[in-house]
Amino acid sequence: MLEMSQVTKIYRTELVETHALRSLELHVGAGEFVAVTGPSGSGKTTFLNIAGLLETYSSGIYKLDGEDVSNLSDNQRSKLRNQKIGFIFQSFNLIPDLNLFDNADVPLRYRGMPAAERKRRIEEALGRVGLGSRMKHYPAELSGGQQQRAAIARALAGSPKLLLADEPTGNLDTHMARGVMELLEEINQQGTTIVMVTHDSELAARAQRNVHIVDGMATDLATEPALVRAALGATPYLPS
Amino acid sequence: MEFRPILSTLSRHKTAAALIVLEIAIACAIICNAMFLIGGRITQISEVSGVADEELLRVQLTGIGDDPNPDATTRSDLAVLRALPGVKDATVLNQVPFGRSSWNSGVRIQKDQQRSSLNATVYMSEEGFMGTTGLTLVAGRAFEPGEYVDFSELRKPGVAGEVPVAIITRSMGEALFPGESPVGKSFYSWGENPTRIVGVVDHLVRPNAQGGPPAREHTMIFPLRPTYDVGGNYLVRTDPTRRAEVLAAAIKALRANPPQRIVREDRSMSLSDIRREYHQQSRSMAWLLGAVILALLVVTSLGIIGLASFWVEQRTRQIGVRRALGATRGQILRYFQVENFLLATTGIVLGMLLAFGINQLLMEKYELPRLPWYYLPIGAVVLWVLGQLAVLWPARRAAAVPPAIATRSA
Amino acid sequence: MFSYYCNLALRSFKRNKVLTALMVLAIALGIGASMTTLTVFYVLSGDPMPGRSHTLFHPQLDMEGMNGYLKGEEPQIQLSRFDAETLLREKRGDLQAMMTGGSVSITPQKAELVPFIAEARYTTAEMFPMFQVPMLHGGAWSAADDEAHARVAVISKSLNQKLFGGASSVGKTLRIEDADVTIVGVLDDWRPSPKFYDVFAQRGYGETEDVYLPFSTSRDLKLGRSGNMDCWGDTSGQETDVNAPCAWIQYWVQLDTPEKVDAYRQYLMNYSDQQRAAGRFERPTNIRLRNVMEWLDFHRIVPSDVTMQVYLAFAFLGVCLLNTIGLLLAKFLRRSSELGVRRALGATRNAIFQQCMIEAGAIGIAGGVLGLGLAWLGLWGVRQQPVDYADLAHLNTSMLLATFAIAVTASLLAGLLPAFRAMQITPAMQLKAQ
Repeated sequence: MLEMSQVTKIYRTELVETHALRSLELHVGAGEFVAVTGPSGSGKTTFLNIAGLLETYSSGIYKLDGEDVSNLSDNQRSKLRNQKIGFIFQSFNLIPDLNLFDNADVPLRYRGMPAAERKRRIEEALGRVGLGSRMKHYPAELSGGQQQRAAIARALAGSPKLLLADEPTGNLDTHMARGVMELLEEINQQGTTIVMVTHDSELAARAQRNVHIVDGMATDLATEPALVRAALGATPYLPS
Repeated sequence: MEFRPILSTLSRHKTAAALIVLEIAIACAIICNAMFLIGGRITQISEVSGVADEELLRVQLTGIGDDPNPDATTRSDLAVLRALPGVKDATVLNQVPFGRSSWNSGVRIQKDQQRSSLNATVYMSEEGFMGTTGLTLVAGRAFEPGEYVDFSELRKPGVAGEVPVAIITRSMGEALFPGESPVGKSFYSWGENPTRIVGVVDHLVRPNAQGGPPAREHTMIFPLRPTYDVGGNYLVRTDPTRRAEVLAAAIKALRANPPQRIVREDRSMSLSDIRREYHQQSRSMAWLLGAVILALLVVTSLGIIGLASFWVEQRTRQIGVRRALGATRGQILRYFQVENFLLATTGIVLGMLLAFGINQLLMEKYELPRLPWYYLPIGAVVLWVLGQLAVLWPARRAAAVPPAIATRSA
Repeated sequence: MFSYYCNLALRSFKRNKVLTALMVLAIALGIGASMTTLTVFYVLSGDPMPGRSHTLFHPQLDMEGMNGYLKGEEPQIQLSRFDAETLLREKRGDLQAMMTGGSVSITPQKAELVPFIAEARYTTAEMFPMFQVPMLHGGAWSAADDEAHARVAVISKSLNQKLFGGASSVGKTLRIEDADVTIVGVLDDWRPSPKFYDVFAQRGYGETEDVYLPFSTSRDLKLGRSGNMDCWGDTSGQETDVNAPCAWIQYWVQLDTPEKVDAYRQYLMNYSDQQRAAGRFERPTNIRLRNVMEWLDFHRIVPSDVTMQVYLAFAFLGVCLLNTIGLLLAKFLRRSSELGVRRALGATRNAIFQQCMIEAGAIGIAGGVLGLGLAWLGLWGVRQQPVDYADLAHLNTSMLLATFAIAVTASLLAGLLPAFRAMQITPAMQLKAQ
């Protein structure tokens, strides 16, 4: 699903060159649930930006769902992003003056879907996250956990192949966080590929596979148990 | 106060900064020119007419059919008017100041000059002219009784239209004989023979704006007694407080005086009313310009408030960090005030250049004089003060940002 | 998508009521000022004879003596009576008429009405067909009437209303000064604006006259004249005589084709040569033949204050637009997080651009509506002025449409820069750190 080979990202200013990613190798298969960990400044955010087609990369090859995205125009990337990827942000990023229905509607509008189909998908998605009765409510009226679930519904409404989550429980208390994680697991079991960036070791442990990014390079922790222990500092719970 | 950090911050918001600078520049240019135009109009409106504006009434009438003896009718009218209670004096004229209709003639200094030296308006006067109008002689003398001639005499076929003597205005004297006293000198206007200048009055404006501002008082007075059917103007002098009653009495008296004539009530009013109507256009323009200046100030200050508020919002985190590092509220306030001052100054400098440019255009298209330099600092001060007042509210909001923001993540 | 963006624009307005109101107000003020001055200008500079103005001409001849002659200067604005009557007799145009203005006293037959003064025009028969003057009752007099110095008149609709209650007064008598004339026609509403045929009367935009008389008759009755009289020689008090060296007659000729115009021009030159040979003219041949619009342009009929006001108003609109650009920029950038999210969710740059432009356009429409109200108010103010064009200052359909066109165009132009900046907002991730 997500194939990055030798992907490098260099930020250039007048004086300084920063190598955010150095020949990153990362492969995520369809249906996998991968957690990406790493210290601050390691390049996880850059990785997520590139994976989500939000940024371009300096060299290497990134294939999304088999398609090489190296030479796509901004418009083409926007379209691909809209159709194949769903985003879940740490700070939810729901649009405050739209209700839940209209928030979930946003990506579907850019796809040019007819009204009836949009309605069907949104109702289904909101129902799936347990917010079917709150469609007309505004984000400000909901708890953090509910807002994140609404954001997930927005991500799901378009039936994306890949869900990219950036610290999805970062702004939630433990109880809500558990709820969100259970939801993500459920979604993954139903076939959606999920790549989640987090620095919470417990969360990372719930994923099938962990990838650790340090200094712009990725190490697959599934194949490097020693590193796993060293990186996470505790015995991880790795479901088989 | 350090300018460099302010300038570097501004350079990162070039577009918004440029917008404020441009807005202030254009506002400054328009305001400077508008103030100048208002000044010009006010000068026009408050011009000295030369006659006793507040004491004069004008009654206009026309005859029905042919009057076989207009001289006699006119003399009779004047007698009737002078006998009215409250009337100090009365006269008959071919034209009145601010009356718009005018008689004009070319004036030459040499007899065989090809082109006229200037074009002057002609007031025909009878004996009561000087007393009624209240003109001030500054040189020479008034007409002597023997010098007056009936205008109807001159119009008889075969009679040469000669005017031996005339009184002119100081302005016309300066134009014809710069630096010298015009009294005793002659010019050529009506007829073949020269007209000698016997007196000079201080001011007497033309009935209209013919010839523009330089020729406003190119006026001459001839001792020709007009009849009422030459222009149809009677001028009556009275006390300012009695004008309404005397006007009504005059109209009534003239209506009753045979032969039957039509008194034009819509045109018979006090001279100050005629003057007000004459200057109405200028007055409206001045008000309009004033309204535009006000509107510009309002709009510009709204723009400054809007953009400054936006910047405060954008930089809330920065401001919090500065406060956390020890800046006082006053220093934050001053930061924004200085920033606004820099922008305003740039805008004003640009605006002054633009003001001259606009003035140049106005000079060419509308024949206006050059913008005097002292309008620029006035415009500058107005905009500086406006900018500082406008930025006060957003700047105080900035100063109120708590230092604790620095430690909070986004 | 268009209705979606409109919806989003409305929501955005509701959220930022004050800011939106300020933007709409700024645009409305600018539009109101511009449309008021533009309407006045449009009304004053219009074509008084639409479709025909290029066929109506006013000839000018240089009739003065050599005294004061300067090569290349304009000849006299009006014609002398001699030359006008001669040109009229020689009839070289398709239609032609000579005319001048005056005022006459009218003594009504009804005893309750006192005698009053009416504005008059002394002219010849062909003026009416040439200017296509509409008639309500009866018709104009004929050329034979001109020859015969007939005591006939045509009166205006309002005079007819005043004297005869609006009924057909054809055949009735009108007492002018101390003579009686017979009414042969009553005009319908007629107000060419500007009043091109006599630029000296009433500063160019006044009402048309109430009484029309044959010129020959007016001289017989020694009726008073008004307008400009420019004499260059000794008149011995008889300026209105046929041979007086005075220019006071307006002359209009209709020439339907460009060939006829050239031919007439040649005719005027030949005529000038003839007159010089006969000793009447002294100056070298110097003629002008301007059509209506050229004539109006030459006389700078639109008051300079009016054109200055138009420039001022549009400069003010410019400042309002700069204001709007700044406020729109602030508005859009303030929402950079929302716009970033939309980009992340799949909006292309163009989609964001469109969304912002539609918001700008919506403000333009709102500003246009309010501005229209302000313009209406402004024109009301103009109508209260004591100027002769006061009652002409009205909004018509084309000005109405122009208001919206200008408002929307202006706001779209103002929105270009902010929308362009908005579409540069990078997709979502910037939101993490402010």
